[in-house]
Amino acid sequence: MAFRSSTVAPKNRGDRWGLLYVSPFFFIFGIFGLLPILFTVYVSFFHWDPLAGHNYIGLDNFRNLFTDPYFYRAVRNTFSIFLISFVPQTILALLLANFLANPQLKFKVFWRTILLVPWVTSILSVAIIFSELFGQNYGMVNVAMHYLGLSHIGIHDVNWVGQTIPSHIAISSMIIYRNLGYASLIYLASMLAIPRDLYESASLDGASKLQQFRYVTIPQLKNTLTFMLIVGTIGGLQTFLEPLTYGGVQGGDSRQFSTLALYLYEQIIINNKFGYAAAIGVAITILTVIISGVNFLVTRRISGGES
Amino acid sequence: MSPLLEWFTGPRTGKKRRKVSRTSYIALSVFAFLSIFPLYWLFVVASNSNTEISKIPPSLVPGPNFFKELKAVYAAVPLTNALVNTAVIALIVAVCQVFFCTMAGYAYAKLAFPGKSASLVVIIGTMMLPAQLGIVVLYIMMANFFHWINDFKAIVIPSMIGAFGVFWMRQIIDAQVPNELLEAAKIDGGKNFRIYRSVVVPIILPSALVLGLFSFLGTWNDFLWPSLVLNSPKRFTIQVAVNQLNGTYTVDYALKMCGAFMATLPLLVLFVFVGRRLVTGIMDGAVKG
Amino acid sequence: MFRGNLRKFFVAGISLFTLLGGVLSPMSQAAAPINLSIWTYGNVIDPVLIAQYKKLHPNITIVAKKSDLDGNAQALRYALPSSAVPDIAAVEISYMGEFRNYTQYLTDLSTLTPGAPSLASKYLSWRWNNMVADSGQVLGVPTDVGGLAVAYRIDLFKKAGLPTAPAAVSALWPTWDKFIETGKGYVAKQKGKAFIDIAQTIYTAVVNQGAQKYYDGSGNLVYDNNPNIQAAFNYTAAASQANLGTNVAQYSPDWNVGLNKGLYATVLAPAWMLQYIKQYAPKTTGLWNIATLPGNAGNQGGSALTIPTHAAHPQEAWDFIRWYTAPAQQKFEFINNLTFPTVTSLYTDPKVGDLKDPFFNNAPIGKIYSDSVKSVQPFQLGKKDRLIDSTIGQALSRVQLGKQLPQAAWTQAMSDIRRAIN
Repeated sequence: MAFRSSTVAPKNRGDRWGLLYVSPFFFIFGIFGLLPILFTVYVSFFHWDPLAGHNYIGLDNFRNLFTDPYFYRAVRNTFSIFLISFVPQTILALLLANFLANPQLKFKVFWRTILLVPWVTSILSVAIIFSELFGQNYGMVNVAMHYLGLSHIGIHDVNWVGQTIPSHIAISSMIIYRNLGYASLIYLASMLAIPRDLYESASLDGASKLQQFRYVTIPQLKNTLTFMLIVGTIGGLQTFLEPLTYGGVQGGDSRQFSTLALYLYEQIIINNKFGYAAAIGVAITILTVIISGVNFLVTRRISGGES
Repeated sequence: MSPLLEWFTGPRTGKKRRKVSRTSYIALSVFAFLSIFPLYWLFVVASNSNTEISKIPPSLVPGPNFFKELKAVYAAVPLTNALVNTAVIALIVAVCQVFFCTMAGYAYAKLAFPGKSASLVVIIGTMMLPAQLGIVVLYIMMANFFHWINDFKAIVIPSMIGAFGVFWMRQIIDAQVPNELLEAAKIDGGKNFRIYRSVVVPIILPSALVLGLFSFLGTWNDFLWPSLVLNSPKRFTIQVAVNQLNGTYTVDYALKMCGAFMATLPLLVLFVFVGRRLVTGIMDGAVKG
Repeated sequence: MFRGNLRKFFVAGISLFTLLGGVLSPMSQAAAPINLSIWTYGNVIDPVLIAQYKKLHPNITIVAKKSDLDGNAQALRYALPSSAVPDIAAVEISYMGEFRNYTQYLTDLSTLTPGAPSLASKYLSWRWNNMVADSGQVLGVPTDVGGLAVAYRIDLFKKAGLPTAPAAVSALWPTWDKFIETGKGYVAKQKGKAFIDIAQTIYTAVVNQGAQKYYDGSGNLVYDNNPNIQAAFNYTAAASQANLGTNVAQYSPDWNVGLNKGLYATVLAPAWMLQYIKQYAPKTTGLWNIATLPGNAGNQGGSALTIPTHAAHPQEAWDFIRWYTAPAQQKFEFINNLTFPTVTSLYTDPKVGDLKDPFFNNAPIGKIYSDSVKSVQPFQLGKKDRLIDSTIGQALSRVQLGKQLPQAAWTQAMSDIRRAIN
């Protein structure tokens, strides 16, 4: 019953037309998308200073990378921030999309557009607001926690910048805040496309609501969930603007919130080591490929394959 | 009434028309408030003097200085220019992205061509390289080869297509356009492009418009690349312009927040006008599908 | 008759002169319109002065692009080899060590007219030399200098039983040891209040008082065995461990709050920071005064203006730079923005040297800061200054937050630097 992706037209026709449809994309992509990447990979084998010249050093950048404790810390930080942001974000987005999908909802347009406001508010301003919210002495979060009596269990005056997990929580909340509206909209668009008769026939077959959610909604959202998971992982591995605007390019005094992309950027800006940055970039890409592959396989299994 | 929604909002009660549960409205209100509050806070900071932001508890009420700050912003950067520049660029990029990515997405979803699977993997793979690197290389290309530094071409042309857009449209077309429909159209004697235009496009138009919206917003908010490539204030995009409002080691919060507020305001206006159309479009598309 | 001839002669002469003038004048006529582009950051280029320049040279339009400090340096690095460069580029003091070596990409201002060396004597010599390459090329002209002094809260000192008159206060701390001792005494009396806003500022102050910073005279790295650097680190660590400072980040909203609430008894302030205090804590007017820094010599911040080699209008750029850094303009900047001049003749100018501000209880700002900057010893700047500054800064933050003991933090900083440099 589900829609399979397959080629439609007989081979000859499809070949010609297919190429025509993708050629503008390939042309621009080739020059501005692929070429820079190939060049970056090339640079990763050099010690590259834009003004002092470059020299070939083979795999040295990668060797240094493998023994670089700050690289591994960046990996851990990136994963931590990703998990703390992505899971709540997805759950909340599905919840919100669900509320918004109700045809009986009043002021639909209002709700749907207002949720996009965080995404369009400039990241610099969001960062300042969150820095204030999470200020150690006067931030509203600490004040609220104190008010809620959390000091009795030992939580007070949390340093949301200096300590590792608190900084991850603060940055993750920035990420969730910015992305929630856009994620909800994407899930909403797909939820609305689910034909109602699927639910009706399932209901007629005696399926409970939970079963309907599992066997009708999720498979119908499969494409979207896969998409969001892959895009989310890719985005998560490239988390950059949030930690940068929150606490600067070095990611804190102990690099507690230095993410992979931030660490890369630090190499370019502060250390002026473009070659090493390129090597980090290659490493991030490989990591992303592996994880996306895993994601893809996992989501395929969960949704029960082609049902 | 979709059973999915019932699951969250409560059981059917006979044949009565169902109401949306109170929980839904409360939850939505909370999120709506949280979404709009920072923007409101921006306005508060922008309209008060700098001492307000240093007070505890911070002021939550707008002050009288907004237009004074706005004047200062205009004195520092050509704000209207920046807004117009950004609007034009973002529109062009959005249109191009929708056009090219939909076509390419269609090819990946429904057509065959040599190297299809491999190239899709490559495209998705390129999404995985951090943008900060690409920026440096692109800059070198722009400066030494294309000579597009300080030219809008440097911003528009590389963004005319996007791996995200192609991937997204591929998923959408794959999910929403049944092969049977295409077969039927073919049997009816439709030529390939006509099929694309009259069968595929109407179905996926709402999602394509969403892509256009995201493209537009993404370009509007883009900061890193335009700040590297644009040098004349008259050509700045809005985020670059707002970034001009920094001090050397310090930040004039009222000034900066005023700029940031003005950078967001046009988008809100856009939402007011386009939002209804867009959302209705999504709804229509959903019903049709 | 003679008179009549004379008059004719006169008229003819003037006519001829005017004619000649008319023929020759295209040289001095209004020239073609020119756009002069500047890449800068923050407040280095004052829009008010730009407007003044436009009035003087209507055909020249100044087009300034602002980034943040690091972003500006990065953009320059990648742009300098190409022709996509500005006519003028501002360079901050932490980057001067790196950019002074780019003799290939920055114009030697000695080769322009009038040559830079003719101006050198006007400026504070160690600031002038910041942008002179090893082989003698003059790559930049200094704009302002930070200087350093101690801004202190009279009311808080009084509460702690400390003297409040500037001379007496300055006498409390001729050395950094005494400064820390005073601090400890203050904190003991005023429980819960910090003596200084941020202990890490002590590091910058001490470092800039040495004869060497991170490089020696021959350009070798000496950061790891320079006793002054270690002393700077140790003083700062001692201050942190004695709880003399707070955990806020400078210029953050929390820091502003502290200023307003009187949470810090002292702030190590370069001249331009005084303006900031006035702007962000206006209600504290009259509660401050200014004492000298332990060791007197001090600096924090400062910039220079350079001309990239591939600039489109080097001569006009040079004209502007000379005007902008001229005594008259630097005086204007000091009076209006408290950015301290690098033109030494101004230090004895009454408007500068005698400048008093009631916000700071009429402290002789001009005199204090000119003494401070004049005492700074020249030291070698180098390529990795910014990197080493940042890394040691991280170590000092760790000590302040109690995450590491000073020795461990220092060791880690040293290994971090070694790794990053290679």
